[in-house]
Amino acid sequence: MQLVIDHVSKRYGKQTLALRNFSLQFGPGVLGLLGPNGAGKTTLMSILATITRSTEGRVTWNGADVAANPDALRATLGYLPQDFGVYPNLSAVEFLEYLAAVKGLDAKSSKQRIDELLNLVNLTDVRKRPLGGYSGGMKQRVGIAQALLNDPQLLIVDEPTAGLDPEERVRFRNLLSELSGERIVILSTHIVSDVEATATDIALIMQGSLVAHAAPEDLLRKVEGKVWEWVIPSADFNSVRHQHLISNTSRRSDGVHARVLGVTPPNGAQPVTPNLEDAYLYCLSQRRAGAFA
Amino acid sequence: MNAPRVLYHMVRADFLERVRRYSFLLTLAVAIYVGYAAFAEKIVLRLDDYRGIYNSAWLGALMGIVCSAFLSLIGFYVVKNSIQRDEQTRVGRVLATTPMTKRFYTFAKSISNFAVLASMVLVMAVAALLMQLLRGEDTHLHLWPLLAPLILFALPAMAFVAALAVLFETLPVLRGGVGNIVFFFLWIFLLVGGGVGSLGTGATRSTRQHFQDFTGIVAEMDDMQTAGRKIDPAYKGGSSLNIGETPPMKRFVWTGIRWTPLMLESRLFWLLAAAFVAWLASFPFHRFDPAREWALRRKSKPSPAEAATAEDQITSPQKVEHFPAHVSPLLRQGKTQRAESNPFLRLVVAELRLMLRGQRWCWYIIAAGLSIACLASPLSASRGGVLLAAWIWPILIWSQMGCREARCNTQSLIFSCERSLGRQLPALWAAGVLVALLTGGGVGIRLLLAADLHGFAAWIAGACFIPSFALACGIWSGSGKVFEAIYTVWWYIGPAHQIPGIDFMATSPASSTPGIYAVASIMLVAIAYYGRRICLGYV
Repeated sequence: MQLVIDHVSKRYGKQTLALRNFSLQFGPGVLGLLGPNGAGKTTLMSILATITRSTEGRVTWNGADVAANPDALRATLGYLPQDFGVYPNLSAVEFLEYLAAVKGLDAKSSKQRIDELLNLVNLTDVRKRPLGGYSGGMKQRVGIAQALLNDPQLLIVDEPTAGLDPEERVRFRNLLSELSGERIVILSTHIVSDVEATATDIALIMQGSLVAHAAPEDLLRKVEGKVWEWVIPSADFNSVRHQHLISNTSRRSDGVHARVLGVTPPNGAQPVTPNLEDAYLYCLSQRRAGAFA
Repeated sequence: MNAPRVLYHMVRADFLERVRRYSFLLTLAVAIYVGYAAFAEKIVLRLDDYRGIYNSAWLGALMGIVCSAFLSLIGFYVVKNSIQRDEQTRVGRVLATTPMTKRFYTFAKSISNFAVLASMVLVMAVAALLMQLLRGEDTHLHLWPLLAPLILFALPAMAFVAALAVLFETLPVLRGGVGNIVFFFLWIFLLVGGGVGSLGTGATRSTRQHFQDFTGIVAEMDDMQTAGRKIDPAYKGGSSLNIGETPPMKRFVWTGIRWTPLMLESRLFWLLAAAFVAWLASFPFHRFDPAREWALRRKSKPSPAEAATAEDQITSPQKVEHFPAHVSPLLRQGKTQRAESNPFLRLVVAELRLMLRGQRWCWYIIAAGLSIACLASPLSASRGGVLLAAWIWPILIWSQMGCREARCNTQSLIFSCERSLGRQLPALWAAGVLVALLTGGGVGIRLLLAADLHGFAAWIAGACFIPSFALACGIWSGSGKVFEAIYTVWWYIGPAHQIPGIDFMATSPASSTPGIYAVASIMLVAIAYYGRRICLGYV
């Protein structure tokens, strides 16, 4: 089971290049796709989900060109788009039954599957209510259920935890971790903690280009010894924050505790253990500076 | 709040948003084509054997009548989406948090609608001007006679249509497809009420008739007929706007409408009527209150207790612990099992169920009644009036074919499924045909029993043609409005009047042409298929 993205570019009109010569390959596991807004994540997801085609390059699924034969991938694809709708007059069960029919699943196994998925996303009690009355988070969970309907080998989820409450978010993270064993899961998000909890691999994307592709440990290793906690008097904070790359702050009685990223520590700063958010910001800042290798 | 400035910016933003859409360019292209058709004498304004020479007055009147006759109908469908767009883009919710009043909003939307329609009238004015110069029958350009019919007849009619579109959007019953159909009959009613039928009698029009003439067509034609009688005593007072017919040979010089105070007062009346309708629209307008929008969208509302229970269960932290994040593998069917259930038939049933869901109970009762009436009525009545009713009744179901995915934003879910093009699209079409068979099936059975194979073929061609047309319109326009508008007009002109060639329902043996509609169905399905291929990125 292998998905290969080979020198893929996507151009919208003449001016906008959403993806630039993007190459990546991966096997079973959870790939966390991280990047700032407008980095090209959703464009990449759409290409992988066969919704749109690349302008250049190709994507292969187990060696077969996805553009030439999209149905080969679609048969084993589960896709949760960032922005999707539902049919407001159908209940969750009816909507999933409809999509099961569209996906070509047989009646008996899909019925069982739908019951289980609705239970999984905690919608069993409202399964017969029309979707038009669902909240945003509930619709998102219907989206998660439909993505898992055909027991996909490739699961693509674009900002899956948007609109979910903290408990549901934790549950979804656990689900992704469990699902990742025998399949490829691509998780696109800008919420670093979601990726931290589930990803076995991380791809950083910025301005349509791949910045880094590594295991979380390797990314963390890159910022080892480059993260510092610095206590700054509140009055000085505004002037300091423009001179340093700061990943987090918290106000305490002795001043502002800032996590500063950099090779050389500010005067009086103490080294701290880096987290993935530090690594993410550091990589992006290095890329912006044109120095990341 | 600086009201004029706010109004200006609201109208400007709305206008620019619309005119930068492809759909507007398409509409503009149609307006340009109509202008060209008039230039090429494909559209001719005639007084029996006469037409006026193409001077400023005649061309202005011609374009004024074309605008009043066509744009007052088509324009409504073009502009009836301004509030809906604010809902879809969520801009409405931002506007709702400003000091803007409901009255101000509906007034601004009416003006914005009017601006769009007026831009089309402007195109027609330019077309009239170019026509006069290019045809060269009279090269003396007189701006007032050229523009007056457009300004004084067409624009007030456009203002009224623009305000009506806003009113329809604010009324829950009329904001959807029902409103599109209702407007067509309202438009017919307004034309007839304006005295179109009394043209040519030579009788003096009463003050009331002047005020009822919302398009101004009757006033214009009346004035021309008076001129016609003066130049030829044998002229019988006929006048018409012909499309595609041979132009008349005789010419006469018409110098323009003799404006009377009554005429001007009647046009002012329609402008005031437009303002009144815009004001009226502010009362049912929901001001983007999500609760009211939600209530409008929903057909069945859960009890507060049910809703509360559901939310409580979902957000309760304790519940999360009881639901482990685990899902068992799907038991994929083997080849032998696959033969037991036909995925295509399952999908047809699923599409049919999706189509038929969400109607009120009375819809099903009437549909069943029409279906039974098709079977139980005498064949001539069944084939005529009953089938006519049976195949207009599901119009709002057919109009969602091919555009439901766009309307509900489910494209990415549906189009990423295996064989979306090869399985879902044919299933959707088959479900549409099934709707036609379910509602009008009695006629087919009766024709078979009567051994009328030609009639049966025409009936089945009609049953295939309607969903094929709906599917093609839905996929290419991304909205149900195009089908609703064209189908209603076509249904009224063709089948309802049993006009041979355009009677796709074959409501009488004389007007049935099964071959044409069988071929048309195939072509429309091919067009729909190609459109969906583009949506899926194959082209």
